[in-house]
Amino acid sequence: MANALDLKRQPGFASVAMICCFVLYAPIAVLVLFSFNANRSVTRWTEFSLDWYVRALANEGIQHAALISIEVALAATVFGTAIATAGALATTRIRRSRGTNIAYTVINMPLMVPEIVTAIATLSFFALLRTGLGISFGLGNLMIAHTVFCIPFAYLPIRARLENMDLTLEQAAADLYATPWRTFRRVTLPLMLPGIIAGAMLAFIVSLDDVIITLLVAGPGETTLPLYILGQIRRGVTPEVNAVSTILLAVSILFVTLFFFLGRRQRS
Amino acid sequence: MTRLFTTAAALVGLAFAAGQAFAAGELHIYNWGNYTSPELIEKFEKAHDVKVTIDGYDSNETMLAKIKAGAAGYDIVVPGDYMVQIMVSEGLLAETNPSAMANYKNVEARWKDVYWDPGRKYSVPWQWGTTSFGVNTAVYDGDIDTLAILFDPPEVLKGRINMLNDINDVINAGLRYLGHPRCNKDKAQLKELSQLLLSAKQHWRTMDYSTIEKLTSGDVDVSQNWNGASMRARKQIPTLKYAYPREGFTGWMDNVAVLKNAPNTENAKLFQDFIMDPENAALISNFARYANGVAGSDKFMDPEMTAAPEIIMPANAPAPEFVPPCDKEVVDLYNKVWTNLKK
Repeated sequence: MANALDLKRQPGFASVAMICCFVLYAPIAVLVLFSFNANRSVTRWTEFSLDWYVRALANEGIQHAALISIEVALAATVFGTAIATAGALATTRIRRSRGTNIAYTVINMPLMVPEIVTAIATLSFFALLRTGLGISFGLGNLMIAHTVFCIPFAYLPIRARLENMDLTLEQAAADLYATPWRTFRRVTLPLMLPGIIAGAMLAFIVSLDDVIITLLVAGPGETTLPLYILGQIRRGVTPEVNAVSTILLAVSILFVTLFFFLGRRQRS
Repeated sequence: MTRLFTTAAALVGLAFAAGQAFAAGELHIYNWGNYTSPELIEKFEKAHDVKVTIDGYDSNETMLAKIKAGAAGYDIVVPGDYMVQIMVSEGLLAETNPSAMANYKNVEARWKDVYWDPGRKYSVPWQWGTTSFGVNTAVYDGDIDTLAILFDPPEVLKGRINMLNDINDVINAGLRYLGHPRCNKDKAQLKELSQLLLSAKQHWRTMDYSTIEKLTSGDVDVSQNWNGASMRARKQIPTLKYAYPREGFTGWMDNVAVLKNAPNTENAKLFQDFIMDPENAALISNFARYANGVAGSDKFMDPEMTAAPEIIMPANAPAPEFVPPCDKEVVDLYNKVWTNLKK
């Protein structure tokens, strides 16, 4: 009976799954393929070459954009993960009440609100700060914006980890006269570390990929890689953009894979 | 954990310091992506000891949305003709009076009294071009200088056409084909237009901005296009010909303007004057492949550009038409026609 309801045993499961995978990944495969094209076309194959990688890596605009992307992603990861860790501890290590649910919803709000709404709200907020109080943090504005939307992405894996953790270990530490700080340092933190690392990597990749919020918040000289690629479209895309996208994709895959393995270790 | 934080903070701080400018002044340019000649910028930086940053946008509307929403720090934007008029009317541009600048004498007479900036109080020419279409003459070698290619195509071109995904470019081409005026609010004429577009749509393969890729991939044989893009596509398809339809076609100009809240107004003015120098204007054209509107710049331009049929219009071609922004009523009517076409 259970077998009859198993999704994997439904007729056509394999073919539907294959079609879905093809539709999702074939365009990406084409993009990667043409980054190795000798010709300047992104649609007509001539022969294999690494020229576009050489050119992309030598392009000052791309270098600068990559540096900005990494600076912003690092800052957002560090601060976003720190806040998310504190938030996860607070929402799992206190007695549940109605407030816990509200806190949970507030933390995850950026996931539900359409990105364009967050983007315009963030831009108006910084514009108000500047015109009203004369405060502007330069690239810091972008870092703050990214930190905010990275928090829920970092929060979810950390919270999941904390919820699966055995509370008795912490109680045992307290029984043995460990101070709360010592308990945290020697018991809680090491146990939740895989969750923190997974959350940090997710935050990093989400920050690196973001377009809409960055587009509106970025100030002069703050073009990130995705914005740089977007700006090229009107004037014709060269395989240089494919090469950069492929590098970005490789970084993303690396992080997602690490995330996956950390997640597996956590469960076993 | 604490050590991790300090290391990260130090790293971020270091990267910040490395990014700091050491030149005397700064200039922040917000231009279309991949549209600014790096050589031009290098020359300007050296000449005036100014550190320049360049950021890119993908449409006039993206730029306007961002500036209107309060993005600050940019000195220079490069809006298209109609967008200059909109930005002036919204009070976003600084009146820098380029007509009083030293190099203004080099601007071709026809670009001095333009509808979007009469007498050039705000903006100077960056580049100008036309929006028409290109045809692969290896596929169709008949007369291409007519909009019938797009709206009533010969048998071999049916289903082989890409149109720009742009409401104004498509509607204006349709109105020209029917012989009706632009910024049209005549319901009967718009109905006729709507029927024309709907019947032509079956012959259109795609509606997309990536015209060069569409043509060079062989996905289509005709594409509505900008002249510079058509020239670049011709390098890969030598038989591609840019049409000058007798019913008329659109002309456009991108212009360098200074924002009202620019932090470096003086450097921005220097830049406006700088690009009206023929030698510098030629650098712009050699990079982005459009004409620049500065007299005498052709001496410094790539020979293949000054001879290109996409740049040099034949004598019998009609003058390009610069279409001002239409009023709200027209925009609403156009939106209806467009939505109907796209569904």
